[in-house]
Amino acid sequence: MSALTSKIEEKASVPPMDHRSIENFIYREARLQDEHRYDEWEELWADDGVYWVPANDYDIDPQKQISYIYDNRARLASRIRQLKSGRRHAQIPESRMRRVVSNIEYSQVDDLVHVQANFMLCEIRNGRRNFWAGRTAYDIRHVDGEFKLVLKKVMLVDVESPLPNLGFLI
Amino acid sequence: MSNRHSLRPDYHQLVQSDKVHGSVYYEPAVFEDEMENIFHTGWVYVGHDSEVPEPGCYVSKPFGKQTVILSRSESGAVHVLYDKCPHRGNKILQSEKGTTKSFVCPYHAWGFGLDGSFKAMPDLAGCGPDFDKSDANMSSLERVEVYQGFVFASMSREGISLSEHLGKAKQIIDQLVQMSPTGKIQLSAGWMKQRMYGNWKNILENQVDGYHAPFVHSSLASANRDWAGERDRRDTSPTRTRDLGMGHSDVDYTASYHAKGTTLRWTGNIPESRASSYVAAMNAAYGLEIAKEKLIVGPPHAMIFPNLFIAEMNIMVLQPINADETIHWTTPVILDEGHEINERSIRRCEGALGPAGFLIADDAEISELNQIGIKNRNPEWIMLGRGLHDEEHRADGTIVGGLMDETSQRAFWRHYAKVIVGVNK
Repeated sequence: MSALTSKIEEKASVPPMDHRSIENFIYREARLQDEHRYDEWEELWADDGVYWVPANDYDIDPQKQISYIYDNRARLASRIRQLKSGRRHAQIPESRMRRVVSNIEYSQVDDLVHVQANFMLCEIRNGRRNFWAGRTAYDIRHVDGEFKLVLKKVMLVDVESPLPNLGFLI
Repeated sequence: MSNRHSLRPDYHQLVQSDKVHGSVYYEPAVFEDEMENIFHTGWVYVGHDSEVPEPGCYVSKPFGKQTVILSRSESGAVHVLYDKCPHRGNKILQSEKGTTKSFVCPYHAWGFGLDGSFKAMPDLAGCGPDFDKSDANMSSLERVEVYQGFVFASMSREGISLSEHLGKAKQIIDQLVQMSPTGKIQLSAGWMKQRMYGNWKNILENQVDGYHAPFVHSSLASANRDWAGERDRRDTSPTRTRDLGMGHSDVDYTASYHAKGTTLRWTGNIPESRASSYVAAMNAAYGLEIAKEKLIVGPPHAMIFPNLFIAEMNIMVLQPINADETIHWTTPVILDEGHEINERSIRRCEGALGPAGFLIADDAEISELNQIGIKNRNPEWIMLGRGLHDEEHRADGTIVGGLMDETSQRAFWRHYAKVIVGVNK
């Protein structure tokens, strides 16, 4: 659990990672999602990565409570394969979308950078406009000179509300 | 829609044994009749008593067009109350769920027990000497009954009993709860709520549709061959669709699972070694022979009229919003003494169901396309006749069709045609 809580803490025991590089990483991650560039997005993930969209509340125990998404690396790969199959009806046609990521805060614990940021996402599909917003917690690790996502936890403002299809990558 | 249908819908004409008029899916007048004659008359599923595990627990639930409170009072009894203050009519709950000693109306602070009985108000004397406290109780739904923890209510004072309404669906519920070694389940993992832009009846029909899976869910084979390969989905499959009477229906995988003969296929086909504590508990509870049968056949896949879907190890509840919109509630079934199975059920529920699920997101899309398409003028009727020519009519009244037949959809419509005209009153 501790790796998943992604608290912002002021503690740096190793030299800090360059914040501008991390920002670029997060912006690129957002853009790859907006543009449905599935393979490049999947490349961002560490082998032990967890992609998490909790339901009902943010601090639930995923072992006992339901989440909208709680993908380990294998399920995340399945999700990408389904999207790429061309037969994922919920994304035929793909959502047209753009998101803004802002209010970024950092802390670093050893080799893990905890980042939190707000997002606002405009999605258009089948003539309907959906507005998604929330705060995302990212745990990012340096692996062989590259940043890798260890955790992406998307805390939706709409966490308690009925959601329309979430067939795209959020 | 043409003017001839702006009058009262003629359901004997619109709902026939092998076809249904498209307008039944989108006409607002039909939706109003459904609310009145089905959801505000017959037995409707409210929630499970495990959602209010202790005295003082309450949870808000939709009920047709009503908002109701499922609560447990000091006595341990479960109640279903209209969420309405008897004073000036305010909604009382300001949270979806919680624990409290009493309900207090936020307007003038009238207080009520968890059974809805009046307890106190500021300045009671102001109501005068003739004030009768028994007039100041919150109202209970007219009839409330519980079967195996499943709480149902009806807004009619009279009518058939819950037992009569459930009929063969009681065996379906028994089959589910007996997946637990103690025969008890808990709906404690929280709900996913999914807004679908489809008519509730199409969503319901799809839940027990054995025909669509290879097409709507073909991307599953790309995503995960293990999931996709658990079941035989060919037209030669021994799986059966069944009309259980009273509008209930199911897709019965029993023969298909028996043909494979292995236990735990319904978990995603894990070996018993990965659920050894659960298997041991099942063996101890039911004996080796019966336990093995339960572990092979697994939980049911059944629709209980009009709003409860037992989706194997998940409970899904339909909340119709209007003719074009439905909220679909989903939670995994947590087994008492479920051991290794429970966390797996949560992960499988997320994987398959809900707005991001590998299955239901696609079903939601199909329902939306259905709702758009069905409003186009011609052809006026939708066809529901598959398999009608060679169904098996059993002595107990069950009608049995093949996996790709529309027996389960006809089961719904056969009962719908009876109750939509208001005879249930």
